[in-house]
Amino acid sequence: MMQFLVDSLLRAGDLMLVTLGLSTVYAMVRFPNMAQTEYATIGAFVGLLLSGFGMPLWLCVVLSALVTGIVAVALHRFAFARLLRSSPVIAMIGSLAVAMIIRSAIQAVAGTRSERFKLPIDVPHQFMGAVITTTQIVVLAVTALVVVAFLLLLFRTNLGRSMRAVAAQPDLARACGISSGRVVDIIGFLGGAFAAIGGTLLAIGSQVHFNLGQDLLLPVFAAAIVGGLGSPIGAIFGVLLLALVETLVTNLNFGPLVGETFLYVPLAYGPAAGFCLLVVTLMFRPRGLFHSESKRV
Amino acid sequence: MAIITRRSFLATTAFGATAVGLMPKALFAQEGGVVFGAVLPLTGASASIGEDQRRGVELAVEKVNAEGGVLGKPLKVIIEDSASNAQTALNAAKKLVSVDGAKVVMGEYSSGVTVPLREALAREGVVHVNCGSSSVKLRQPGGGKAFSVIGLDDLMARFTAKALREKGFAKSAVILPNNAYGESMNVEFAKAFKEAGGEVVQTLLYTEGQSSYRRELQQVARFQPDVYLYSAYGQEAAIINREAFELGQKQTPWFGIYLTMCTSDAPKETIEGQLGSEVNFIGPDSAWYQEAYTKKYGEGFRSAFNGYLYDAVAMSAAAINKANSTDPDAVLAAARSLEFDGATGPIKLDGDNERAVQEYLRATVKDGAVVPV
Repeated sequence: MMQFLVDSLLRAGDLMLVTLGLSTVYAMVRFPNMAQTEYATIGAFVGLLLSGFGMPLWLCVVLSALVTGIVAVALHRFAFARLLRSSPVIAMIGSLAVAMIIRSAIQAVAGTRSERFKLPIDVPHQFMGAVITTTQIVVLAVTALVVVAFLLLLFRTNLGRSMRAVAAQPDLARACGISSGRVVDIIGFLGGAFAAIGGTLLAIGSQVHFNLGQDLLLPVFAAAIVGGLGSPIGAIFGVLLLALVETLVTNLNFGPLVGETFLYVPLAYGPAAGFCLLVVTLMFRPRGLFHSESKRV
Repeated sequence: MAIITRRSFLATTAFGATAVGLMPKALFAQEGGVVFGAVLPLTGASASIGEDQRRGVELAVEKVNAEGGVLGKPLKVIIEDSASNAQTALNAAKKLVSVDGAKVVMGEYSSGVTVPLREALAREGVVHVNCGSSSVKLRQPGGGKAFSVIGLDDLMARFTAKALREKGFAKSAVILPNNAYGESMNVEFAKAFKEAGGEVVQTLLYTEGQSSYRRELQQVARFQPDVYLYSAYGQEAAIINREAFELGQKQTPWFGIYLTMCTSDAPKETIEGQLGSEVNFIGPDSAWYQEAYTKKYGEGFRSAFNGYLYDAVAMSAAAINKANSTDPDAVLAAARSLEFDGATGPIKLDGDNERAVQEYLRATVKDGAVVPV
């Protein structure tokens, strides 16, 4: 049981920051940015590059978040904002094209070979029957810290109030003197930075490769939609729920039902479980579990 | 102004297309050399092995040309990257045949790529030489337009099953890639291990290209095997070894099929003491090859596979010289009649043009390097 919880948390940790960024940015710009997961790849590669220069890991994470945040804002201003004037669908297709360009560019520069951060290999800890490494504990702790810091920013500061105001009623917010452009820039930056931190942490725990963002695309969107696109709280619960379901399906032993010792669902069907969750959620809550127009963000 | 009629336009276009199609071959003919092609995984999961295969090609080209070349002309081997991907490999092969005019194409490494590559080259009527793949799906009755200089999985599976039983392992979990190689090895090993008195308690055919195999490893661990038998491509094997280490699964012995492939990219502490089976690096009379390799590259063999590329190039050259022609059927007939003394030992083809006898080694990892035991 403890291992099941640890595995679910680790899976949630993989997806959390990227999904949080995606959902929060959606609340502002009102189109699903398909390039959001590619920001995770950019962040991971920038982090890896910096660590190659001998920088401490925490500085690599901070700088990669900074660089990727700036890239995200620049892309929004110069590409997506213009496309958005036509329609959200055009912006979404544009973001898909940008995602493919980013992926190809990374592949051209870094190659198809996956790389690792030069970290010592961890000897695992046994914790109440579960196995977890120090790196995994640190990754989970940093993820939780970023999530809590963002929630405090959102609900306890003036900037957070402005963000929520722009998300809920952009025209009214402007009439009240809030600069929506500035708020969109800040959220865009945070979205990029979160994806970069998420991507770098994921890479620290596993590998950096050019397909990292693409592998995240479907589960991240599934989690964000289940939670309710545009709701950060929804994103957090969407990720936790998706991670629990994916882990549950691949860990359940169906053997006793058919008179065998072991019978597991093949792991290739793990992602399918996430999509079943998505379909069921959309049937009963078409706008996601935590969607509420007036309280968005 | 000249008026272009439909007929003259079509005629010009047809002439131009034909000229462009023939030009590289014509240019090549003017140069007066013989061209082979090699499709190797220079990038992707098996990049480390691909680089080692490339070295085998280089050594062979030097040797063949030093001994007079092919049909009295210099030999050139053009190498293309498969990116460890079947579609890229097929595009590369097409280019090697139609643009470079390659008479023989060798490659790849992963059976998942080599099987479609062999089929595509058969359609082009070009000789294919398998130099790194072992899926039994490569075996065609009569051999078609291809031959192999490396033994297939049925031979390796029997060798590995025997090695495991002699070590006293009876319950094995099997981890293999979900492709033509993994499927073939899975069937062949399960059969051979059962015949040897063992039992496969669980088989995991993993999806290639993932960044983590943690869940797969945890699922397999529940079956409590006495040994994990696995075979995985360089970087995927590196992830599997590291995650198994981090999950505490290395307290159970691990046994790698094609051990140099499994360990080429893995962190050293995760593979120390690991057991495995491997094709032999060199034949009994091939110390000269090891010396040539070490002299040129300043290190010992990176993997077991460079010698097979050497043999693929050198045996193809020998077959063309014996046939005194580059006609595919004549080359294949000559290859079948050869008793070729290669870097990896004597090579004789069976009725299906597969390597009839293949020597294997039992090996272990000592101080990060694969050594025979």
